[in-house]
Amino acid sequence: MNLPAPEILRGTLDLLILKALSWGPSHGYAVARWIEQATNDALAVGEGTLYPALHRLEERGWIAATWGASENNRQAKFYALTRKGRTQLRAETASWQRYATAVFAALDAPALD
Amino acid sequence: MARWTRFRKLFGLEPKADVDAEIDFHVEMRIRELIEDGETPERARRRALQRFGDLDRTRRECVAINERRRRHMDRAEFLTELKQDLGYAVRMMRRTPGFTAAALVTLALGIGANSAIFSVVNGVLLQSLPFRDAERLHQVQMLYPDGTRYSSLSAPDFMSVRADSRVFEQIEAGDTLPLTLLGAGEPREINGAFVSGGAFDMLGLQVALGRGFTAEENQPGRSNVTILSHGFWQRVFGGDRAVLGRSITSGGINYTIVGVASPESVLPDPADAFFPLTFDQAYDATTMRGRRSEFLSVLARARPGVTAAAIDEDLTRVGLQLETAFPETNGGLKITSTPLREMIVGDVRRPLFVLLGAVGFVLLVACANVANLLLARGSARHGELSVRAALGAGRLRLIRQLLTEAILLGLIGGALGLVLAYWGTNALVAARPADLPRVDAIRLNGTVVMFTLGAALLTSLIFGLLPALQATNEHLLRGLQESGRSGGGGRTHRMRAALVVVEMALAVVLLTGAGLLIRSFLALTQVDPGFQPGGAMALRVSFQGGEYKGGDQVRARVDQLLERLRSLPGVTAVAAGNVLPLTGAGPMNDFAVDGAPPPPPDVNQEIAVGGVTPDYFKAIGAPLKRGRLFTDLDHAKSPAVALINEAGVRRWFPDQDPIGRRVLSGGPRDVVGIVGDVLQRTPGQPAIPQLFLPYAQRTSRTVRIVVRTQGDPLALAPSVREQIRALDPNLPLADAVPLQDMVARSIARPRFYTSLLTLFAAVALMLSATGIFGVMSYAVAQQSKEIGIRMALGARAADVLRSIVGRAVALAGLGVIVGIVAALALGGIIRSQLFGVTIFDPTTLGSVIAVLLLSATLASLLPATRAARIDPIKAFRES
Repeated sequence: MNLPAPEILRGTLDLLILKALSWGPSHGYAVARWIEQATNDALAVGEGTLYPALHRLEERGWIAATWGASENNRQAKFYALTRKGRTQLRAETASWQRYATAVFAALDAPALD
Repeated sequence: MARWTRFRKLFGLEPKADVDAEIDFHVEMRIRELIEDGETPERARRRALQRFGDLDRTRRECVAINERRRRHMDRAEFLTELKQDLGYAVRMMRRTPGFTAAALVTLALGIGANSAIFSVVNGVLLQSLPFRDAERLHQVQMLYPDGTRYSSLSAPDFMSVRADSRVFEQIEAGDTLPLTLLGAGEPREINGAFVSGGAFDMLGLQVALGRGFTAEENQPGRSNVTILSHGFWQRVFGGDRAVLGRSITSGGINYTIVGVASPESVLPDPADAFFPLTFDQAYDATTMRGRRSEFLSVLARARPGVTAAAIDEDLTRVGLQLETAFPETNGGLKITSTPLREMIVGDVRRPLFVLLGAVGFVLLVACANVANLLLARGSARHGELSVRAALGAGRLRLIRQLLTEAILLGLIGGALGLVLAYWGTNALVAARPADLPRVDAIRLNGTVVMFTLGAALLTSLIFGLLPALQATNEHLLRGLQESGRSGGGGRTHRMRAALVVVEMALAVVLLTGAGLLIRSFLALTQVDPGFQPGGAMALRVSFQGGEYKGGDQVRARVDQLLERLRSLPGVTAVAAGNVLPLTGAGPMNDFAVDGAPPPPPDVNQEIAVGGVTPDYFKAIGAPLKRGRLFTDLDHAKSPAVALINEAGVRRWFPDQDPIGRRVLSGGPRDVVGIVGDVLQRTPGQPAIPQLFLPYAQRTSRTVRIVVRTQGDPLALAPSVREQIRALDPNLPLADAVPLQDMVARSIARPRFYTSLLTLFAAVALMLSATGIFGVMSYAVAQQSKEIGIRMALGARAADVLRSIVGRAVALAGLGVIVGIVAALALGGIIRSQLFGVTIFDPTTLGSVIAVLLLSATLASLLPATRAARIDPIKAFRES
């Protein structure tokens, strides 16, 4: 937490949210916690960005929300991947992998002659 | 999309509360976790909030996203349901083609007729006049002590008003005269408008070619220039741009063409060419320049925001000043004004709005009829609707579906109506009375289309709402299965009966109006015109310029002309004069009886004066009542004589014999005979006092020639023309018309209004008869079992017949009572158009009642015979 966290890339957060929900429906807090743990909190996804992102994904129809009881029996809003969201997750994951491979390949490449 | 709807209904939360709850939950969870990690509750809360960041901004952002989503969902949901409803409506329309066709035809007729009449009203009455700031233009008028308004001012009075009034920005004058034009192909008679310097500017008239008049050109001696109207330029010069600099000749004066007006630049009195107005020696110093020589039409533009009252006050003040300054000429005369729009369309406004109201009634009848059809179909659809209700469709949803069907019907009906309106408008313009103003502004434009759309939507609501409410009433929603055939039967039937009563009442109002107008029109055609139009024709000839220097030359030429025409085969009488029946009473002159006490100074004692050749009365077929007619011995140098009409005798010689008396009009004259009254304007306007002088003693340059023949007057026209051409090829001829046509033209307006109102009343009657037919057929079908029982119990076919017809007549009777009351209440609206009848005319009211009851009887006969043929056994078996 001492180093400044890198700015999260646009679209990356959407991908992480979709990934978080790929294990099953969960509420916003759980999504936030999962991202914190999965990234060792290196991306510092603030709630101020997470929640609007969740609502935008809902608006696009990639995730759907229902109110249900949380693990401690409180009313919580649960998000679940829709079929459209699952397709989107697959597509974005593949694209991220291609992107990262390309960037790493470039970083490992020898100097210009 | 249905998924979102379900969620929304599930949580039933507003976006804001939804977001708040979600964020609260998050913060709470974080606090709990921090406490579990060993923080104190306070520190945990602080850290949780700190970590979250700007809570309010996040909240707002989320709410905005959700609200946007909800709007999209609502719209999507609305569109989906609309699509469903429309699909449903189209299927329904296809499945019941008979119903659909009946409803669409009814609506198309109703809406189309409204749009057609509206396009006329819009063009003539609603669109602004084609002048700059037209709503501020007023016509200045003289108000005489007897209450008559004259729309012309003398030149000095015009100058005084222009100098002294304060409420107007600009005051201009014009004088439109018939001119004989040479130098543009055939000699022709044109209307020349002599306008004061600022007239083009005030009215916003533009020149399309060349230039406007300069200030100097309104000075005497500089005024020999002209601007052609666009129409005249096209017609006579074929739109040749080289006309500039050429000249036209009239009355021996050459006018150089300096410009051509743009197509939309026309005066209230259309003119073929414009000339600068000057006040020089050409106007006779003693008469034309006198304050009581009124020949200028004066228009003025009020300053912005000036009220009618202020204008009136200002002009009254100017009038009083003139009265004080010139008591001899202006005593008792007031100055006033009328908005220009009122001058142009004032007398057609009332009748046109009456027609629009009448056609609106027709649309209401059409609505009632379609509502009736929908109610009947609603009963048939009872089963289908209850299934939908049982499946969870709420009442509002069902009403919305039924209204969608109604609106679809209305819109298709409106579209068809627009097509009908296109034809209708053209037909109206073709059938219009020739003197209907502003006809060129009548067209089917965007305003008319919007009106049609509005009418279609409003109509849909009117005819759709009641059936929709009825079809989805509590019975349906409670899922009560009444016996299939009579779903909500009694109530529906009562509602339909009520609609029929309304239709009948509306039809009665229209029929009464039409009846009264028909009676008035018949009375107008029965008016004795005082002359015999059959077999006579008239035309106009002008003697101007070179050859015709003075009265002697004109008289000589008129004599030759009459001589030639008299020799044509079949001609029985020929005459010339400056008057003609039905074209106005002619110029007015002061009048007094010699020896009688002079009229009080503030009474303008006038008489219409005409100059006619000896055979005039024979030619038009008007009788001499007493004394003698003119002869060739009454020439220019013989003693001054006059004939007076009976209206004049009644006015000035009530108990005396005017023959041999001396009257003063211009100069002293001896009355030698009394002629019968001849209609001067329209049959609705009684003849005013008129004095006839021998043409030889009152010569005019423009004369009306009347030729009476034994045969068809029109067949004679070519040879009449030939004779005149042979005499002088430069004489312009105009207005050749059989007198019979002039009679028809004089009642063209009442004929137009009457025909339209009659047409509307007939449509309304037909529709309401259809309505009664529908209701009785339905009733018979509903009650076949009951009728069967009655017949089984011994009722005869005739009894059944009588009872069904009786019920129809009772409904119609109720409609008649309501309608007559309404008609009498509304009667005042058309009172001004009635002639010879009052709104309480028993013949009209009696006929309307008879027609209504008769049509109800006829309309119910078919269902009644069907009822009378019911076989009791079959009726039981079927039920």
